[in-house]
Amino acid sequence: MEAEGSPGGSPAIQTERLTKHYGAVQALNALSLEVRNGEIFGFLGPNGAGKSTTIRTLLGYLHATSGSASVLGLDVAADSVQIRRRTGYLPGGIALYGSLSGEDALDYLADLQGQPAVRREELCERLQLSGHDLRRRIRDYSRGMRQKLGVIQALQHDPELAILDEPTEGLDPLMQHAFYGILEDMKAAGRTIFFSSHVLPEVERICDRVAIIRAGELMALQTVDDLLARRKRKITLRWRGAAPDLSFVPGLTDLQVRGDRATATLAGEVGPFVRAVASPALEDLTIEPASLEEAFLEFYADGEGPVVRTRESSTGDSAAKLP
Amino acid sequence: MNVALLTRVWRFASTRLVIVTLATLVWGWLLLFFYSQFSEAIRQLANQSPIFKQFTNFGSGNLFTVSGAITLGTQHPLLIALIGIFAVGGAALAIAGERQAGTLEVLLARPIRRSSYLLTQLVAIVAIVALLVAALLSGMAIGVVTQGLTAELDLARFPLMWLNGVLLWAAFTSFSLAVSASFDRPGPAIGLSLAFLLANYFLEILGSFWTDAQWTQEYSLFNHFQPSEILAGKADPLDFVLLVLVFLVPLAYALWVFQRRDLAAPA
Repeated sequence: MEAEGSPGGSPAIQTERLTKHYGAVQALNALSLEVRNGEIFGFLGPNGAGKSTTIRTLLGYLHATSGSASVLGLDVAADSVQIRRRTGYLPGGIALYGSLSGEDALDYLADLQGQPAVRREELCERLQLSGHDLRRRIRDYSRGMRQKLGVIQALQHDPELAILDEPTEGLDPLMQHAFYGILEDMKAAGRTIFFSSHVLPEVERICDRVAIIRAGELMALQTVDDLLARRKRKITLRWRGAAPDLSFVPGLTDLQVRGDRATATLAGEVGPFVRAVASPALEDLTIEPASLEEAFLEFYADGEGPVVRTRESSTGDSAAKLP
Repeated sequence: MNVALLTRVWRFASTRLVIVTLATLVWGWLLLFFYSQFSEAIRQLANQSPIFKQFTNFGSGNLFTVSGAITLGTQHPLLIALIGIFAVGGAALAIAGERQAGTLEVLLARPIRRSSYLLTQLVAIVAIVALLVAALLSGMAIGVVTQGLTAELDLARFPLMWLNGVLLWAAFTSFSLAVSASFDRPGPAIGLSLAFLLANYFLEILGSFWTDAQWTQEYSLFNHFQPSEILAGKADPLDFVLLVLVFLVPLAYALWVFQRRDLAAPA
């Protein structure tokens, strides 16, 4: 089944200068981002950065101080009920009624959703939640089992858009793998997934694009590849004999030469660097793989990190600095 | 209103509800039994001691007439506690309790309006209260019939008495729900709801024990539920109007505040 298109081909999620204040505390500051239909979008940031505030504003739990937001082409303030009819939400640290069995809780939530739980059986199978497990009371569940139930309740009605807050928290590596498979299948079926996470390798693995926010402000909104391409890599070189002069090599900083060895930091594309250092005397070259974690940390290295939105990924027409 | 939510609220309360309904029914019957068996002995005791006589006038009730005994039964602390479990405790937890537990988060992720959630909770609890008042009056009616007291009152007036009782408790439910909609934690919600109930009760009972403080009864909601007057055919329509108003004002506030307030992530 294909996802129902949003009116006018609008993005799955769009925020325009979304701002939220709690008294003097500024939780979100003019956040503008766009999540496209059919993509897996990672939403990154440390605790208190404004991830949950953004999600809660999108789903109508919070009212924006200023700015606007739409989900599936519907205004979050005016059309919250219609939005929630077409979305599935997994809250961070989900709480369910401990006195109910897993099955009763899923039935109850499906009744409230007003849509049949068409994917429940498949999801239970993939997340290895057996019929026996479902008949047990939730209060007897482990943290991982509760999280599985949380994932199932969010996705059992096959929503057009899934909003997942720390979805793999409490899942063991095997179940995390199964969960990634579920998301990939959802994407293949045209669904959109918006999820926040602290687990950067998983974001790197499954997300098409990521947004990084800090103190309520958007720091970056890029494809994962773009983000990795711009991150600095640590390199180590070894020559037969003394190291040559590397000061002319483009993108190289923090250069340290000791005898036949040199270490440095490389920014940008690897190709020009390799061509520049290639010589018969070069005996060994190590380039650490770029990781999203390092790229993420770069945005938090100082208090005034850059705001980067590439032409490809920005909500506007061109690369732009946010105000 | 949401039928799935309504059904769930009732199912959650079902065990307690069966127990409390039976207790209320028995209480209603027991009071009439007690009246028919001991009222004469108590009257003689009261005539011997003015202080004791004063204490036999509990609230607006007494143990010297059937209607007085029925009024006493509706204002006794035991009954207040039984019905208060749902009308005050249940209502105070309906939103603030779910907020603290984190379950409101999951419920409101469904396509349910907050107003619908609140009204469903209200309907569920008021229906429970209506059932409990019906059980009380049924127990009393059984007592009247089994003790041979039918000549002393008109059972046809029980439905009006039921309506008056339901309105009284619906007003407390509405207030408690409004408080619940305003807080994220059940402690303050239960505390304020209970304080409102006890303040009203105190004003009513104080005036009945102490003649100089009779004026305080005018300020109690309990004073607007007078079974003895209804049974005497002298029901005051203003009592009903006032209780409806006290029901509607907190409800309007609850709808206003709950729809507008931010629901931050549970701690």
